[in-house]
Amino acid sequence: MSTCIIGKGLPRVDAVPKVTGAAQYTVDLKMPGLLVGKILRSPHAHARIKSIDTSAAEQLKGVLAVITAKDVPDGLFSFYQWLADKNILCGETVRYIGDEVAAVAAVDDDTAEEAVSLIKVDYELLPAVFDVHAALEPGAPLVHDDKESNSTWSVERLFGDPDKALAECDFVVEGTYVTHAQAHTCLETSNCIAKWDEKDRLTIWTNAQAPHTQRQEVARILGIPRRNVRVINSYMGGGFGSKLVMDVKLPIASVLSRLTGRPVRIVNTRSEEFTTGKTRYPYTMSLKTGAMKDGRIVVRDLTVIGDAGAYHDKGPATINFSSMMFGTLYDVPNIRFQAQMVYTNKEMGTAFRGFGNPQLTFATESQLDELAHKMGIDPLDLRLRNSNCSMGTTSCGAEICGCAMTECMEAASEAIEWSQKKARPSDGTLRGVGLANMVHTGGGGRFYGYNSAEAFIKLSDEGTVTLITSALDMGQGSHTTMAQIAAEELGVSLSDINVLSHDTELTPYDLGSWGSRATFMDGNAVQAAARDARAALAEAAAEMLEADPADIVIEESKVWVKGSSEKHDLFEIVDHAVNAHGIPISGTGQFVDKLPEGYTIPTAFAKNIPCFSFGTQAVEVEVDPETGQVRVLRVVAAHETGTTINQTMSEGQIEGSIAQGIGFALMERLVRQEGKVQNDRFLDYKIPNIGDMPEIETILVESVGTKGPFGAKGIGEPGLVPTAPAIANAVFDAIGVRFHELPITRDMVLEALKETR
Amino acid sequence: MKQELLITVNGDEHHLLVDTRRTLLDVLRDDLGLTGTKNGCGAGECGACTVLLDGEPVNSCLTLAHEAAGRDVLTIEGLSSGGVLHPVQQAFVSQGAIQCGFCTPGMVMTTKALLDRNPDPTREEILAGLRGNLCRCTGYVKIVEAVEVAQCLLAEEELV
Amino acid sequence: MKPFEYKRPSSLEEACTMLAAQDGRVKALAGGTDLLVQMKQGGLELDALVSLRDVPGLDALHLEEDGSLIMGSATPLGAIENSPDVRRAFPGIAEAASFVGSMQVRSRATVGGNLCNAAPSADTAPILIACGSTAVITDGQADRTVLLEDFFSGPGQTVLGPGELLRAIVVPPVPETGFAKYCKSFRSAMDCCTVGVAVYSDFVPGSAVVRDLRLALGAVAPTPIRARAAEAMLVGQELDEALTDRASLEAVADALPISDLRASAAYRKVLVEVLSRRALTAARAWAERGAVA
Ligand SMILES: Cc1cc2nc3c(=O)[nH]c(=O)nc-3n(C[C@H](O)[C@H](O)[C@H](O)COP(=O)(O)OP(=O)(O)OC[C@H]3O[C@@H](n4cnc5c(N)ncnc54)[C@H](O)[C@@H]3O)c2cc1C
Ligand code: FES
Ligand code: FES
Repeated sequence: MSTCIIGKGLPRVDAVPKVTGAAQYTVDLKMPGLLVGKILRSPHAHARIKSIDTSAAEQLKGVLAVITAKDVPDGLFSFYQWLADKNILCGETVRYIGDEVAAVAAVDDDTAEEAVSLIKVDYELLPAVFDVHAALEPGAPLVHDDKESNSTWSVERLFGDPDKALAECDFVVEGTYVTHAQAHTCLETSNCIAKWDEKDRLTIWTNAQAPHTQRQEVARILGIPRRNVRVINSYMGGGFGSKLVMDVKLPIASVLSRLTGRPVRIVNTRSEEFTTGKTRYPYTMSLKTGAMKDGRIVVRDLTVIGDAGAYHDKGPATINFSSMMFGTLYDVPNIRFQAQMVYTNKEMGTAFRGFGNPQLTFATESQLDELAHKMGIDPLDLRLRNSNCSMGTTSCGAEICGCAMTECMEAASEAIEWSQKKARPSDGTLRGVGLANMVHTGGGGRFYGYNSAEAFIKLSDEGTVTLITSALDMGQGSHTTMAQIAAEELGVSLSDINVLSHDTELTPYDLGSWGSRATFMDGNAVQAAARDARAALAEAAAEMLEADPADIVIEESKVWVKGSSEKHDLFEIVDHAVNAHGIPISGTGQFVDKLPEGYTIPTAFAKNIPCFSFGTQAVEVEVDPETGQVRVLRVVAAHETGTTINQTMSEGQIEGSIAQGIGFALMERLVRQEGKVQNDRFLDYKIPNIGDMPEIETILVESVGTKGPFGAKGIGEPGLVPTAPAIANAVFDAIGVRFHELPITRDMVLEALKETR
Repeated sequence: MKQELLITVNGDEHHLLVDTRRTLLDVLRDDLGLTGTKNGCGAGECGACTVLLDGEPVNSCLTLAHEAAGRDVLTIEGLSSGGVLHPVQQAFVSQGAIQCGFCTPGMVMTTKALLDRNPDPTREEILAGLRGNLCRCTGYVKIVEAVEVAQCLLAEEELV
Repeated sequence: MKPFEYKRPSSLEEACTMLAAQDGRVKALAGGTDLLVQMKQGGLELDALVSLRDVPGLDALHLEEDGSLIMGSATPLGAIENSPDVRRAFPGIAEAASFVGSMQVRSRATVGGNLCNAAPSADTAPILIACGSTAVITDGQADRTVLLEDFFSGPGQTVLGPGELLRAIVVPPVPETGFAKYCKSFRSAMDCCTVGVAVYSDFVPGSAVVRDLRLALGAVAPTPIRARAAEAMLVGQELDEALTDRASLEAVADALPISDLRASAAYRKVLVEVLSRRALTAARAWAERGAVA
């Protein structure tokens, strides 16, 4: 396919406002009468609230409202409303250090802070539980005392006969793998402004990844009609899953605003972001893999205990998604997946780039290397023998349309010089190479029982194309992707396109930017809208140029009749059409991802995924035997893009994912003592900085078969999924020690080295 | 407690009445409306708030506004002139070193300071110079490239 | 933050008078990189801050004729790191300064603030102690001096009395036969030091025989300390590999680390050994290069 705009590494459409400081994020907004809201949070991991005295806070000069549970609707909230378990403000019980207890609105930060410190809460301490295993013991303190146990959600999937297969296969390896809480650490912390207007409508400005569903969530918890809530986004300083589900600061700010009649802003401090901003779900995974002598993996059996924290949030959805990826990475005929989420008195988890898949892949791809070791074959070889290259349906029902797993493995291993490095004699330095494969959705999911998107385009006589899409840009670049798709399809240049996606009043209903979904879903809708607008333009041009619409050519902002040498400026045509002929030119596009036959939510399993994306990462590490420091020297990441829409941005997604993957593998873990986060700042919770990064080579593998726009798949999440197991496998190659827990810290390495000596 | 503050920001003199507690970051963002300078931590750990104070890169979140009295402050808004991007900005745009953009103003200002001081840094020196600027989106690969491209653009400018 | 008064004296005398008032709820403000964090996040409440910004002479940085280095207490670490004089005559000090925080932090952070804040992990302390530096303290009227190794009295505590300021640090000249270096754990990260080890060693000309040596450790005791037992083992001896190993192990015995978020006590001990070995090995390599020349 010859394209003008697709595939080019064009600069982002929003690069200039971002690089000049002109881009306004939600925290940058100003409005008259704006008040500062602040939340009083529980200092205890589990306690009953005996009384709250707000009188001193109320009397403080500059305080306009103080609210507690009695001032807010008492309904409960969760992402799945039928699992609702979270108050806006806790009335009776607090369940983690950071739980919302009261809130104030004041004229400025210092006053709000002081007011919060003046609220007196009398607590009766309750026994708390922080560890999933302890939480499952009989008689353990109940995080929610209205529930029978702390086990909150379970999933079971069974394909084939795992017990029989385990008994019959030639090799079995088993092990338990543990991952911990990782924080998203978006550079812009979570924040919002709430304001009611004279018509009793609520507007919320916030940095949300899914404004339409958050609008519904706010309406639901406040008990007001959905049509009365409007959510407006600005530029967003990162999301990574943290801003998918509504945070209770939205309804809190709304109530404060209602009481004061003024707009109220609440912004997380960095410490609040670390301690209450939600995390990646920690998993404990007991895994068995069985294979035949010829290397065929015939069975996988996994039990997961997920740490939900104090509330559900995205836990059930996350663990469900894990099961789908578990069943799909390789086409294994016998599969058992048993999982439960468990409440503990800690900050809750939520969606985080990879959505339960990085944890799982750490276990499965580490264990595959253990299997290879046991069988005495090269881990790459074992993977190649099991490569998932079917173009059909796997044993667990996943429909794989287009899969370049083998190509990814070949590209990555060649670029890292796998065979030379594996054969390298030891030269005293502790270097090693490792690789891991991944599969992820490349197009969101049908988890809601539907998956669709819509877009609008209008061409203006003054020479702009306005694209209205719900593909929210939280930094990943979807505005540019959408603009490229529209520009290519319409035959205009990228700079002609103005993308609007920020206002639920304006944009079509949409599930949001998650699950590497925007390119595939919204991209398809944008392409359809552009096609529609192009047809309208062709028709107008045909009328004006007295030709057949089928003979109209539109390319690079020029319009002409096939065979004629007279080329017209596209916007001149639009101008004429609108102003001389009264023909408005616009387009609407929809994309409805058709549900497979017999689809039901409970049984769909991997059929929820409209498009899979495979990839391989190969890494080289060096271990310092004196300090235990693991340094990642080089990462080669070969990932499928279907069709690359923007080379630079796709690389950027993968590079950024790898940085987060390195953090997950080697550095990042929220450390708690009695439930209290100890490392609530960047000096103590280290994310990779510029000096921690290895050399990265990104290989974008184009593949055919997907239904994405121009054949593209999403690339937002895949890059993080295999990084940690690839590093763990490389560390094993370097020092012969297998780590079953992340992050692999310096003292763990040193301890292990001591034991091997 | 409010005190008078005379301060020059991007060439404009301002005469303000400012509470002693407020940081330079607060004054830039709240009083002067220069929201290009970002707050990512408020504790000197992320670099998003970097501005140049008499040419030196500082964390404006850890600098009391009154400590900047009588001094010259340059923020991201003052870097490009007459709609023409500064070479460092051009390089960040062309190399795709920007994703969410929240770290970008701080990165750009730090890069400017680094290259002002050392027009020809090695890769090691670039890494050392930018280690106080966190970015959660890009993995830094394209940021390092952007600094190197900026280095070339500035050297070319020097020649002209 | 609670409200406080901000004062900006223009003489030492005035500054010290301001500091003497308000019984303890007043502090000197240098770069503010420790103080502001403590006030914003650490709950430190003060009635007043006395800015040293306009006090003349506090940011002086120069070499005396005898080769000693005078650093005004309010000299930014960035200025120390980039000073051609310091880089030439005291490269170990310039390097140690460059290990602190980030470029932005070092534009503001001062050497005096680093020492007066008295964190056991202060990065400039070990190298300055190892170099035998002296702290010049003033009450606005007269100076007194103490050896820097005696300056610290506990975590966050120094020998400074009310109304006293650290005016300057004086580092004695390093002879041609002398070498100083600071080794910090994991400098690629912006790190408050997990462990730091500094060595100063003077060798018998043309050999690796140690004439005089100080080994200082950071972040392994309530204050920066000297590893006296290790030093005793080294002075008068030829510094070879075996001795380096033994002395490094001995340095561990001098350390009394605690476990905290950044590292366990056991891990800190390992680092003391590793970093002592690295520092001593660098000294030995330097001496051997000198011996050959
Ligand atoms: C992000 C970040 C990273 C950091 N990394 C490091 C690091 O790697 N290594 C390290 O050692 N430190 C580090 N620090 C700590 C800090 O930057 C240093 O300790 C710095 O040198 C303090 O100097 P200052 O001028 O900013 O001190 P200030 O904050 O102004 O003062 C610190 C204390 O010293 C007192 N004081 C200052 N000057 C005098 C004087 N002349 N006489 C008497 N008392 C005085 C003040 O009253 C105050 O109690 C870091 C800080 C931050 C924010
Ligand atoms: S906001 Fe100043 S360094 Fe993070
Ligand atoms: S681009 Fe988002 S933090 Fe750097």
